[in-house]
Amino acid sequence: MSITVTVDGSELEIAEGTTVLEAANLADAWVPTLCFDERQAPFGACRVCLVAIESTPKPLPACTTPCRDGMVIDTHDATARRVATAVVELVLSELPTAPEPHTELGRIADRLEVTGSRWPGATHELGQDFRHPYLAFQHELCISCGRCVRACDEVQGAFALTATGRGFQSNVAAGLDAGFEDSSCVSCGACADTCPTDAITEITLLDGVAAQRPPRPRERGRRKRRPLASE
Amino acid sequence: MSTTDADRFDKTVTTTCGYCGVGCRLEAHARQGRIVSISPADDGPANEGHTCLKGRFAHQFTRSRDRLTSPLIRENGDLRVASWDEALQKIVSELTRIKDTYGPDAIAGLASSRATNEDCYAMQRLIRAAIGTNNIDNCSRVCHSPTSFAMRRSFGLSGATGSFSDIDDADVAVLIGVNPTQGHPVVGARIKQAALRGCKLVTIDPRRIELADYGALHLAPRPGSNAAVVLGLSHVIRRDGLIDATFIAERTEGYAALEELLDVYTPQAVQEISGVPAAQLEQAAHLYGEAGTGCLLWGLGVTEHKYGSEVVQLLCNLAMMTGKVGKRGSALLPLRGQNNVQGSSDMGALPDTYTAYRRVDDEETAQLFEQAWGVSLSRRVGYKIPEMFDAAVAGDLKAMYVFGEDIAQTDPDTAHVQHALESLEFMVCQEIFENETTQYADVVLPASAFLEKCGTFVNAERRFQLVEASIDPPGGARTDFEIITTVSRMLGHEMGWTTPWDALDEVARLTPHYAGVSYERLGRTGLQWPVRADGSDSPTLYDQYFDRAGGKGAFAALPYKAPGDAPDREFPLVLVTGRVLQHYNSGTMTRRTGNADLVDRDWLEIHPDDADRLWICEGDTVSIRSRVGATELDARITDRIERGHVFTTFHFPETRTNLLIGQSADVNTSCPEYKVVAVDVRPIAEQPAFTPQLTGV
Repeated sequence: MSITVTVDGSELEIAEGTTVLEAANLADAWVPTLCFDERQAPFGACRVCLVAIESTPKPLPACTTPCRDGMVIDTHDATARRVATAVVELVLSELPTAPEPHTELGRIADRLEVTGSRWPGATHELGQDFRHPYLAFQHELCISCGRCVRACDEVQGAFALTATGRGFQSNVAAGLDAGFEDSSCVSCGACADTCPTDAITEITLLDGVAAQRPPRPRERGRRKRRPLASE
Repeated sequence: MSTTDADRFDKTVTTTCGYCGVGCRLEAHARQGRIVSISPADDGPANEGHTCLKGRFAHQFTRSRDRLTSPLIRENGDLRVASWDEALQKIVSELTRIKDTYGPDAIAGLASSRATNEDCYAMQRLIRAAIGTNNIDNCSRVCHSPTSFAMRRSFGLSGATGSFSDIDDADVAVLIGVNPTQGHPVVGARIKQAALRGCKLVTIDPRRIELADYGALHLAPRPGSNAAVVLGLSHVIRRDGLIDATFIAERTEGYAALEELLDVYTPQAVQEISGVPAAQLEQAAHLYGEAGTGCLLWGLGVTEHKYGSEVVQLLCNLAMMTGKVGKRGSALLPLRGQNNVQGSSDMGALPDTYTAYRRVDDEETAQLFEQAWGVSLSRRVGYKIPEMFDAAVAGDLKAMYVFGEDIAQTDPDTAHVQHALESLEFMVCQEIFENETTQYADVVLPASAFLEKCGTFVNAERRFQLVEASIDPPGGARTDFEIITTVSRMLGHEMGWTTPWDALDEVARLTPHYAGVSYERLGRTGLQWPVRADGSDSPTLYDQYFDRAGGKGAFAALPYKAPGDAPDREFPLVLVTGRVLQHYNSGTMTRRTGNADLVDRDWLEIHPDDADRLWICEGDTVSIRSRVGATELDARITDRIERGHVFTTFHFPETRTNLLIGQSADVNTSCPEYKVVAVDVRPIAEQPAFTPQLTGV
């Protein structure tokens, strides 16, 4: 069974069960995502993939919303984009350094034109663990998107990673926080592969990056705000 | 998502993993000629954006200081550095001398299952056309040759009947003699996810493998009793009316003879032979028989036995009885060990067949290749690997050209192999590292690893996939393709290829099953053979008919027979060998990476009760002695293994596990019986320390 939806003005025939995010991708419309990875079940936690859907009162997350016949989707909606941008800004407010440009968070911040945060305050303390031969923890960069935990569960099935702490303290840990080697980790690296911030990454890549690019001081201040296309 | 970024990498190449037969598609990221990182390709059909720690991280070996970077020649007992010209001249003059003195059949070659199809095809052409003998084999001999033999007998073609993705649609999966989460991690992860979604697993293995914890049922038969277990399953399926009578009537032949045989394999009788409780056997048969779709997966725990090939035929019976073959979700998936063990055999690097398993004594096939290569070819079937060693000891084989295989470490009965290699007049090793085998070589040629060459691999689901170089071979090392074609040219047989793709085109031209294979068509996701001339491929085999004369599948009425070795008073325990996740076979590659920090030795796994009885504590060094040899290992006490059994891996040369293995082998294919060895285990203090014999070092 196929249904018809409209994405940013163009009609699209899609299979039933397709999510709004998948439909947007098929229509080549960009929807920012942070907690989404196509190898994992949609999670709907980050609220960065919000889009406007005709006849719904508020923007909806594209990744968890299934399409229905005749749905009209607007990926450029000003409210949705403003909320998404604010979410990214809040995420950045907790990090001690600006995200590296090669990371997914860095790319999204760049595309949403978020260069800093309006909210000063505490940032995560350095929490580095380089004991494993390949995998590095940089806990200070963790944004609690849960992608590594879900990769470990849903892709590899090692169940080695857990979300820990609450609120500002929330982070991720291997096993009972004793490091990868003392957990059920099988070193597959799916966590490093999906991490959008380098909170879990490959040690060899860190060395390479460190040699090339010293850590930059965090930029504080107001983000540039240019009118969005739909404004 | 890969975090590819121009700042961090100056080159990214999509290639196929060179570890294990799963065939993950990888993105290899390099900077300044070195691999910096590897990430999985999201569109890889076998891995779908995932890979294991070997594929992702174990690439440091490519830049190891141990890499061979110039040819070596043995002089006064020691290897010395030589130029390529000198080394190649020596090879050509020695091979010519031996061929002229003793005839071409005194020379044998081994192709490498870690190398590309094009390398293997070139190697068999070198041996057949430039030397003039069919003495060519590859290491599928010691792993899945029984599978190949049996599936050709039962169904017609030598390969999995479906794809890994069939597991996603299976209601039940029966795993026998295979430990995918260790040996084939990405398929292991796929099976585990399927199990978490509700696919029922039946695991059959003397060890309680990790997937048993996620399964519906685990059976632990005595090593060597697989045939009885499979016959018992068939008995229950027939007795309880779980057969697909229409499928049997329309698609198969020989069922009556099997029915007659099955009568005696009652669950009770099978319990006597295998130790599997009758009730569990009945339950397993019902799980498989009642399911709408079901996959059968097996590994070396089935094949590396005296009657390994027969057990594979019995598994084919089981699938045909229940109609679970040739449709989506019902596949027979032998998990091939090395990355290209399927392809090296498909390419004809076997003593009895050309490409696609066409026999060397078939006149029409031989003439086809004679015409293509412009030489006359031998119709005589050549030596299999174990026969090569016997012939060397007997003085009939005088020279070997060993390409990418460490036979002195990996083949059974190490002492016999060493004797054979010492008996040779001349041996060439084409390798990336010095190893146990190069210690016997007269010329060592520095070759290239999978990240340094171009070509194709065929994975365990019959998928041709592209391999493309992301870095150059180090120092003076050359690609295998270049070396083999050069040696052939110097021996007077010009192959007429400039790139591996020319060789691939020749394979496609001369092989109807691969007719549509080409570099352009393989693209990012590859093609599963048979590939027709129009480029359409075959994810599922036998959906309409089997590939045998008459189109019917053949039942095989084969009774259980006792294995080649059995425990007795002197050797009361049974040794089983296998792999561990972190290392890959002889370990030449993975031991030179961070994986060695994760696992740094082979362990002997032993049940707590046996350990108590033998006064062995965790971590103790123990001596382990079989009828043919002895070695030492550190003990690890675990109840994952049954009482009366011990288990070890074979990744470290200092362990020399294969000193323990005797000459017993599969009756049809000579695949060694690695999986049933009677041994005696003692704490080291109780018996004088035995140092493994290291003759020739």
